[in-house]
Amino acid sequence: MAIVVRIDVELAKRKMSVGDFAEQVGLTPANVAVLKNGRAKAVRFSTLEAMCRVLECQPGDLLEWVDE
Amino acid sequence: MNVDRSAVLVLRVFLVLLFGVLVVFQTLSLPGQFRHMAEENPHDASLRWPATIVAAFLVLCVQVVVVAIWKLLSMVQEDRIFSEASFTWVNAILGAIGAAWVVLGCIFVLVGFNADDPGPIMLLLLVLVGVTVVGLLMIVMRALLRQATTLRTDLDGVI
Repeated sequence: MAIVVRIDVELAKRKMSVGDFAEQVGLTPANVAVLKNGRAKAVRFSTLEAMCRVLECQPGDLLEWVDE
Repeated sequence: MNVDRSAVLVLRVFLVLLFGVLVVFQTLSLPGQFRHMAEENPHDASLRWPATIVAAFLVLCVQVVVVAIWKLLSMVQEDRIFSEASFTWVNAILGAIGAAWVVLGCIFVLVGFNADDPGPIMLLLLVLVGVTVVGLLMIVMRALLRQATTLRTDLDGVI
């Protein structure tokens, strides 16, 4: 995956656990794991919005492009 | 899934009814009819058993289709219709229609060469063309199911 979701970085900054994050965003822990390890094929804007709201950050803080 | 539950339920009732009628035809009505015809026309009596077997096979093809539709309806209700497993039953329907088509085609050719009035030939032609249309329609519907399954698989990957 050339696009990486940097949830772990933002979570560490806010000292938030994955379980709390999943609950507040409304995702299953399994789907959070899919996002974290880069196996996600697509993300809804509503999911992205909820993640930004919970982590108080911008989409750009979460998504990163890496050259493979 | 927004499938009309009552329609599926009524359809299931009629599928059971259809299957029951088919079993009666397969085991009682058609063999009895051919026995009667053999008694009426002794010089055609040799056709009794081939005709009975072919008729029973054609009814069997319809029974396979009925069972496959039943299985597919279960998958619709459990929201599993857009999966690879449903293609097993769709292919069973297509196989049954294909087998019936081949048998009907052979009967059509045999009767066509031997019949002396056009009535049975036209009736067979009607059935043959009808089965062809239904079979081709099933191929189109299988392609649509394939598209829908691909879309569902893609959508399931969206988080």
